[in-house]
Amino acid sequence: MKKIEAIIKPFKLDDVKEALSEIGIYGMTVTEVNGYGRQKGHKEIYRGAEYVVDFVPKIKLEIVVTDDRLDETVETIRSATNSGKIGDGKIFVLPVEEAIRVRTGERGDDAI
Amino acid sequence: MDSPEAKILIEQKQELIDQYLQGQEFNFLEKMTTRLDEYFYRVFEKSIAARKMVISGNPFAIIALGGYGRKEQCIHSDIDLLILFDKAIPPDVEAFVQELLYPLWDARFEVGYAVRSINECIKMSFERFDILTTVLDARFICGASLIYSEFMEKFRQQLSAKHLKPTLNYLYENGEKRLADFGDSSYLVSPDVKSGFGGLRDYHTLLWYAKIKSNIKTRRDLEYYGFLSHFEYENLEDALNYIWDVRNRLHYISQRKNDTLHFEHQAEVAGLMDYADTSGAPQVEVFLGELHEKMDFLKQIYQITFEDIVSTCRIKKETVVSRPTKTDGLVVKKRRLYFVNTVTIIQHPDLLLRIFLESGQTRIPLSIEARRVASEFRHLVDDEIRTDPACVKIFKRILGMSMWKFNVLNVMLSTGILPQFIPEFSSLVHKIQYNQYHLFPVDKHSIRCVQILNGFKYPDDTMMGSLYNSVFKEIRNKNVLLVAGLLHDIGKADPAKEHSRRGARIAGPVVDRLGFSPVEKEDILFLIENHLFLAKTATRRDIYDEETAVYTAHKIGKIRLLRMLFLITVADSKATGPKAWNDWTENLIKDLFFKTMSIIKTGELASKKTQRLIEKKKKDVLDLLRESWREEEVNRQLSAMSRRYLLYVSPQNIVEHINLFRNLGDREYIWQITKDNESDMRTVSICGKDKPGFYSKLAGVFFQNNIDIVGSQAYFLGDSYFLDIFNVRPPQDRLFEKEKWEKAGQDLSMALEDDHYLDNVLDKIPTEVTISSGSRPEDSQVRIDNETSSFFTIIEVLTYDFPGLLFAITNTLYRAGINVNVAMVATKVDQVIDVFYVRDIEGDQKIESEEKLNQIKNAIINRLPQMQSKEVMNEKN
Repeated sequence: MKKIEAIIKPFKLDDVKEALSEIGIYGMTVTEVNGYGRQKGHKEIYRGAEYVVDFVPKIKLEIVVTDDRLDETVETIRSATNSGKIGDGKIFVLPVEEAIRVRTGERGDDAI
Repeated sequence: MDSPEAKILIEQKQELIDQYLQGQEFNFLEKMTTRLDEYFYRVFEKSIAARKMVISGNPFAIIALGGYGRKEQCIHSDIDLLILFDKAIPPDVEAFVQELLYPLWDARFEVGYAVRSINECIKMSFERFDILTTVLDARFICGASLIYSEFMEKFRQQLSAKHLKPTLNYLYENGEKRLADFGDSSYLVSPDVKSGFGGLRDYHTLLWYAKIKSNIKTRRDLEYYGFLSHFEYENLEDALNYIWDVRNRLHYISQRKNDTLHFEHQAEVAGLMDYADTSGAPQVEVFLGELHEKMDFLKQIYQITFEDIVSTCRIKKETVVSRPTKTDGLVVKKRRLYFVNTVTIIQHPDLLLRIFLESGQTRIPLSIEARRVASEFRHLVDDEIRTDPACVKIFKRILGMSMWKFNVLNVMLSTGILPQFIPEFSSLVHKIQYNQYHLFPVDKHSIRCVQILNGFKYPDDTMMGSLYNSVFKEIRNKNVLLVAGLLHDIGKADPAKEHSRRGARIAGPVVDRLGFSPVEKEDILFLIENHLFLAKTATRRDIYDEETAVYTAHKIGKIRLLRMLFLITVADSKATGPKAWNDWTENLIKDLFFKTMSIIKTGELASKKTQRLIEKKKKDVLDLLRESWREEEVNRQLSAMSRRYLLYVSPQNIVEHINLFRNLGDREYIWQITKDNESDMRTVSICGKDKPGFYSKLAGVFFQNNIDIVGSQAYFLGDSYFLDIFNVRPPQDRLFEKEKWEKAGQDLSMALEDDHYLDNVLDKIPTEVTISSGSRPEDSQVRIDNETSSFFTIIEVLTYDFPGLLFAITNTLYRAGINVNVAMVATKVDQVIDVFYVRDIEGDQKIESEEKLNQIKNAIINRLPQMQSKEVMNEKN
């Protein structure tokens, strides 16, 4: 089992969800996060006052998949978010030791 | 430990719960208190340890504190106990506590206790607010009653002698703090029926206040001592019994002391309280509606108390006699507004509105009687009142007085006057949206929205607070904003319909009645219809793309509308609940606001004129391409193109570019050289996948091949493709023109491959240039504008033309890590104005650092040659 963490642009969320559901992946955790990276925050001036935003709003997706679905899932996320521009995001893959469905107690792949 | 006494208590409690659940016991709280009292009597009577202490001269009293002291014991309420000694505390007390409390702990009662001497206890009461309030509710259970009375007497003495004001201040501050911690609970998804605003704590606060001020003994005294009117007292009893019932059932369901009515418990509690439709399904929304109503009342009671505390702390004498107000027909008695009599209302029904204005201006609440009267006479607010200019004016002023701590609009709603004055509003009253997202019924939500808008009048110390404040100050017609805020969800009565558009339709007649001008009306309806537009765009489109801001700017069009829409978006989201509003969303919306603002201000890309021009061009392009392209294909291409490109390029050229783009395929770039028929010039159009430095390399290759650039433009086409156009003079040697271009093409490919291929060309840029025109040349200028656009830093270079000029500038930019996204280069005789819209390559955004901007400016200036005129040359010679 692998956990995929993807940091994407907010407006790409619907595209990613749709692309994932097309390959049969419906479950994911979505969090609104703030990113600090190569794409930096910026300042705006309004009526002489400065308004600084030192981070960029992003969405974090977390999906746990079985090993055999990993490549397909990562590729789906990548192609749904890739615009060739800075700030398109990053995808991380982490090993998952165990998964347990609370209700039934099922473990491993069955619990995903 | 097996205690027979505890056993009895447990059995009694179970019996009581059973009866309660079967609906046979209506006085659970007091009965439960009595059962506990009886337990303590029994243990105390039998206790040897207790007897020992008494005999050895250490009598003591067992005292109930807090809720137990008030005889308000719910199923899993804490039991707070005080074991009070006159002076010293004997060591034997430990054994007694074991006898008294261990069995209770074993039986899982939540018991807290303290063993103190009288003086100790008094000292602590005035040091700690939580102890003070439990002591205010102290009730003697058993033991030495003299110790209890001595304690209470001393406590009262000290309270009135030196602690009265600080204590009242405590009460006040504690209320403020609680509000900040728990928020307005009556409308939270999971209301806290105890500590939240609108929870039981509101009633406790009133009781404590009355106890501090007048030493009242029981709740009943609230009326006898004049803290509440008879109506208020009856309503209070009703609300308390209801909330206690909810709390008790909540304890029962969650099997512990739990005062938060979580989402998942709501249906079950509704079921237990017999809220069911004919099929037996629980009617959660009806139940919540009623709970809200009761909590709302507690909140009102609290506000009255709050007012009283403030006035007790500040106002020395209380006037019991009524005094007149500025409005005939209204009087003030004990800081409450009253109608003089009902006959005047019939003669002057506008009083039904004026009383709210008076209340808002003076911050004196309506008495409960006045509320009842207003409610009963509300039918007098008829069409005549609704369209009467004076009444309309009053209403608008009331809107501006809807504030967080004193919201007169809420009272206007609860008395039914608001829905009577705006009948369209009545479809929203108590319209609950039972989900985790909307915390408030639509009517309250709308009022909260107005209240939040009014709150922008005052800057808070946050960055965003000051932004809202400064935007608010710029809005000239606040009435437009407030009415739009009040009516933005007026279309929500029918959940099936798209509520924004429907809302604008319903609001039309309301706005007419309120006497707004046609322009104002148009604004209000626009704001209602588009109140979700900014939030949607900010979350669903790429706000870092200029096209998004242009699209937004085009839709909104006017700065005043953008300002108002921005504030309504913020207020609407804030009024919905925490799920709709957080820093994250706030940042997105704010960014879109700024970016759109600068687009509208500049006017270049989003004005009506621009729009007309672009629409016409699109049509022309479609006509020109009709033969060879499918219409939807062309439309898709056109909609991907940047507006700046569409604005400045002619339809014929767009057509050429579309065809060029079609042939690009997988290649890095493609170019096309066309011969201008009239002037002997060449136009080179190049299209390709965007890559930093491309534009600079093109300029370099032309320079290298002695191709003289007269003008140039660079655009993005959208989807990370660019299109560059160069107007150049043909090579002098016409015979081999084709070969010359081929050579240039080869050089470009090399330059793209090797970043330093063009380095040696740099040396060919002249260091001195002689100007042919007679006058003395002006110095070259580099101007940097970082304010006009939110997306680009705009660099303007004013200088004289010389071979390699464009390469000199763009190469300098490229080497500084800057990408040219848009360029407009024009030569007039020998003077040149070059404008570049640039972004940092790293980060793909405009350049923020002042230091870097200066570096770039200096680098360009240094790169440009010295300008000299012929005369100067002659002098030198």
